[in-house]
Amino acid sequence: MENEMLEQNKQEKPVSLLTKALLTGFVGGVLWSMLGALAAYFNFTSVSPASFILRSWLQTGWSDSWLGQLISIFVIGVISVLLAIVYYGLFRKMKSIWPSAIFGVGLWFIVYFLLQPIFPNVPQMAELSMDTVVTTICLFLLYGIFVGYSISYDYLDSVTKKNV
Amino acid sequence: MKNKKNQSPISPKIKINENYMKEKIGVGTSFDVGFRDVTILKKTAHLYYLTGLCDSSIIVELLKKLVEINDNESNLRKVAEIVENRLVHQQVTRVKTMDEAVDQLLSGLIVLFIDGEDEAFVVDVRSYPGRSPQEPDTEKVVRGARDGYTENIIQNTALTRRRVRDERLRHEIVQVGERSKTDICISYIKDIADEGLVKKIKDEINKIDIDGLSMADKTIEEYLVKQGFNPFPLVRYTERPDVSANHLFEGHVLIMVDTSPSMIITPTTYFHHVQHAEEYRQAPVIGTFIRWVRFLGIFASVFLLPFWLLLVLEPSLLPKDLTFIGPNETGNIPIVIQIIMADIGIEFLRMAAIHTPTPLSTAMGLIAAVLIGQIAIDVGLFSAEVILYVAISAIGSFATPSYELSVANKISRILLLIITSIFGVPGFVIGSTLYILLLAMTRSLNTPYLWPFIPFNIKAIVHILIRVSVPMTKNRPSIVHPKNNYKQP
Repeated sequence: MENEMLEQNKQEKPVSLLTKALLTGFVGGVLWSMLGALAAYFNFTSVSPASFILRSWLQTGWSDSWLGQLISIFVIGVISVLLAIVYYGLFRKMKSIWPSAIFGVGLWFIVYFLLQPIFPNVPQMAELSMDTVVTTICLFLLYGIFVGYSISYDYLDSVTKKNV
Repeated sequence: MKNKKNQSPISPKIKINENYMKEKIGVGTSFDVGFRDVTILKKTAHLYYLTGLCDSSIIVELLKKLVEINDNESNLRKVAEIVENRLVHQQVTRVKTMDEAVDQLLSGLIVLFIDGEDEAFVVDVRSYPGRSPQEPDTEKVVRGARDGYTENIIQNTALTRRRVRDERLRHEIVQVGERSKTDICISYIKDIADEGLVKKIKDEINKIDIDGLSMADKTIEEYLVKQGFNPFPLVRYTERPDVSANHLFEGHVLIMVDTSPSMIITPTTYFHHVQHAEEYRQAPVIGTFIRWVRFLGIFASVFLLPFWLLLVLEPSLLPKDLTFIGPNETGNIPIVIQIIMADIGIEFLRMAAIHTPTPLSTAMGLIAAVLIGQIAIDVGLFSAEVILYVAISAIGSFATPSYELSVANKISRILLLIITSIFGVPGFVIGSTLYILLLAMTRSLNTPYLWPFIPFNIKAIVHILIRVSVPMTKNRPSIVHPKNNYKQP
């Protein structure tokens, strides 16, 4: 078949797919935690990226300033790379946008419910204000879609070579 | 529908053909269908034409040649061959059925019947009324080509061909509309465009079964993308041949519809609607700057008003440094009502400006600016800050290059305003999330609408955030699934 010569029919190497997923994970973590920091600045949420990354261990003055937020955002980006690997390993074959949305919301439950005891600076779920809960759930949901949907789209795209 | 049409053949008896023409298309009743009777080598020949769509000087020339046959030829048995030879024009074809002949006649070609022949000659002498290429109003640039598409599909294909002299450029033409018989041209470059997409578009267009396409491209779009209640534009329009040539090179498929100067570019994403030819006419840095300012404007047109409203409703949200934001005195009317009233006022102006003649629109602007703006504040109807923010977001919508996108964003803004005023922070956050979520779920011809943001594609998003210089763009965008990925072979 002459078609195999065409660029569109060349198989993309799985390595590059994984690299893409890692990059998506990092950018996603940085982007949405930046929005989280902005939301915290405008008091939409009482929990900022710094409050569970840094302030659980460091109660110094700078950890609540912009520098603390910046470092936390970067750390979340790195953690997000790990999450992207998990998503790539487990759910990359999911087709629609919904599994990734559930992934995001599930992640929220893990962070705010299961892992809450690790972060002394994050109040218990029942004590969070309505605004905080809604804002953080929405951010996690969008983060989930951003990372999850991108990974599964890239995977399906490389398999089928057309939009699905 | 198309199969049910009975295909009546052309009769060798010219009287039968004449009656058919009288009955079916009303020769003699409709004044724009003309008819001329000549005798060639003792045989009657009938010439039909449509006044207004033909070039008379060519017809006269052809008639002259036909009549001269009587002086120069004598072979009575080969009339058809002689006539065909003497029809001195490059586009002469033979048709076998009356339906074909009538279709061609009504497109502006002339049809010649000869007694004793079961075929008719069709000569393309079309000359459609129309304007010459002009710069399109909605896509002006400071420098660069000033030609734009017109209402004539032949001119439009020519304007494209001028920029793409590739032998692999395909202009496929189909006719749609049982009564209007509108020509639709599907353009793509054969070794770049995705075959699946071309096939899908052709199938969708062939499935259209309708009387006529009086709104041309818009009607085709509605059949193609099945929009439903989604207000966002699912295809991009352009009237600039350079923009469409650029998209052809990238592997997009273009659809042109006769009688419309707007080309449909498919597939389209949200970010196709926030770009403008002007960015590519400036240095990359300037182009990037223009683009970022424009993004800011578009962002403000959606989120600025709801966000400000939120800060007014709940001043406790404001950080220490920004406490000056918000009106100093609460007016007599709730802020959200003021905003919506002012927004609708601007909408009045915008709509009125579309169909107000230019001399009157100056007066209209004066009334709007001085009377309504200033006096509404003095009377105590609006607070000054409302006017400021409504004006910024209105200018933001005007800065959106795609008119369709700006209107869709306006609707989103009003919905966000209402939901924010009712539910406060949760309303604003959930509303904004839904805005992104619904856009991410939208698909135009199977293309994710928010690509390359969601799903994320680093290379493509860099090309959207930064206007990269042309020598640096080596690949075509992956979203069109080009057959051949390299722009610089």
